[in-house]
Amino acid sequence: MVTNIGEVLTYLTPRIRRALEKVDGGFNRLEEIRLRAGKPLQVENGQVSALVTPEGSFTDRADRALQVREDEILRCLQLMGDNSFYTLEEEFKEGFITLPGGHRVGLAGECLVEKGRLLRIKKVTALNLRLAREAIGSSRRIIPFLVEGDRPLRAMIISPPQAGKTTLLRDIVRSFSNGEGIPSPVKVGLVDERGEIAGCFHGIPQMDVGIRTDVLNGCPKQDGIFLLLRSMSPQVIATDEIGRPEDLKVIEEILNAGVGFITTAHAWDTKDLILRPALGEIWDRGLVERVVILSRRYGSGTLEEIWDGKTKKPLPGVKPVRLGVRE
Amino acid sequence: MKLFGALLVLFSSTAAGWLWGTMLRKRLKTLGDLRQVFQWLETEIGYNLFPLQEAFRRIGERLRGETSIITGVFVGFLNSVQGLTAEEAWRQTVQTCREKLVLAENDWKILEDFGCTLGTTDRSHQLKAIRESLERIKIQEEEAGKTMEKNEKLYRYLGTAAGTLVILLFY
Repeated sequence: MVTNIGEVLTYLTPRIRRALEKVDGGFNRLEEIRLRAGKPLQVENGQVSALVTPEGSFTDRADRALQVREDEILRCLQLMGDNSFYTLEEEFKEGFITLPGGHRVGLAGECLVEKGRLLRIKKVTALNLRLAREAIGSSRRIIPFLVEGDRPLRAMIISPPQAGKTTLLRDIVRSFSNGEGIPSPVKVGLVDERGEIAGCFHGIPQMDVGIRTDVLNGCPKQDGIFLLLRSMSPQVIATDEIGRPEDLKVIEEILNAGVGFITTAHAWDTKDLILRPALGEIWDRGLVERVVILSRRYGSGTLEEIWDGKTKKPLPGVKPVRLGVRE
Repeated sequence: MKLFGALLVLFSSTAAGWLWGTMLRKRLKTLGDLRQVFQWLETEIGYNLFPLQEAFRRIGERLRGETSIITGVFVGFLNSVQGLTAEEAWRQTVQTCREKLVLAENDWKILEDFGCTLGTTDRSHQLKAIRESLERIKIQEEEAGKTMEKNEKLYRYLGTAAGTLVILLFY
């Protein structure tokens, strides 16, 4: 089911591929690969951000690093896009492509705007390749806090960027769906708006999201959740990255349907959460019953606290620990 | 001996004339197949939104006869480990097929032009390029049809006639 991370290299031009194959500590340990036209090749792995020389060693000197040419960006993009940009119109509007294996390629460059609205990125000059990782079993410690009896609660995972929210969410979905750590398995409806959770490629999840999970890939949250509630009778709805004002309505709808809910949001802690327009209201009104807070304290995927959304207090018995997310 | 030589001349010139005539017919057939390819491409890309590789693979399965070599070779180049862009793969496909299919220089030009924006633009532009090539191929097909009607028999007779003339002159 899960493709080898090394396959990602076939989407890169030979020069860049050769450098990355020999990279210090191995390609498998990388988290992000950044290509910018006329700029040095840059990689990130956990806390380290470094430039890469043509020979694959790390450097912090830009002049020694491999300089990515503009035509290489286009060539990589053509390979990533299956040589068929016409199938990626939505992706050029959203600014990312999903590769087989669930890896995500972020795009930046010259945009085409009409009447103040972004039509698409017309000329791509920067790529950010984010390698997707599964951390099977990383949700084990958390699952008991997300159910009450056999009722899945409404929960939200919050953390700063790159602390492993999506990876944890994916594993929670998998555990619920497979019935691991809960009294009985539940049907999960997954609205994967940005294709990051299940990593669908041509509609088929590339990541393990469990056997009782229905995935709506690339679907706007609100439409997707209504669709699932109407047609697939989920017991838990899962979705990524809420925080827009319209998301409040979505959560109210889920509350009405009486199903469980699991989502993620960008916030450092509950104090930060209160300041966010939509998230603050969701928190204040107690629409979420659990808030799981992650950080990068011991590396990405560190569990800090789990709060009770009703009492607005952290649950006792949760100690900061690294969950093994992104391992 | 002389008679044998004369017969040989007559035979080869007739054969040459026949071959010319047949090539006209073959070109018409290939152009007809290409028109079909572009019509299918219009559906596969414009409606089904299949990636190039998938679209050409499906068309190749439906296509009969010699022309299917184009789709096969193209899919092969797209798949190659060198990581070719669609434009490069198409260019190499046209080069490879030049020796294997009977087409006029103008016909090849249409195919070459088609490769320039292949896969790198949005759907509406791809459709535009496909339809444009389709129109150009239809024109060539019409022209090839007329040429064939006019000249197929002519070439065949001309071959025999030329052979006879040579024999008469040198016998």
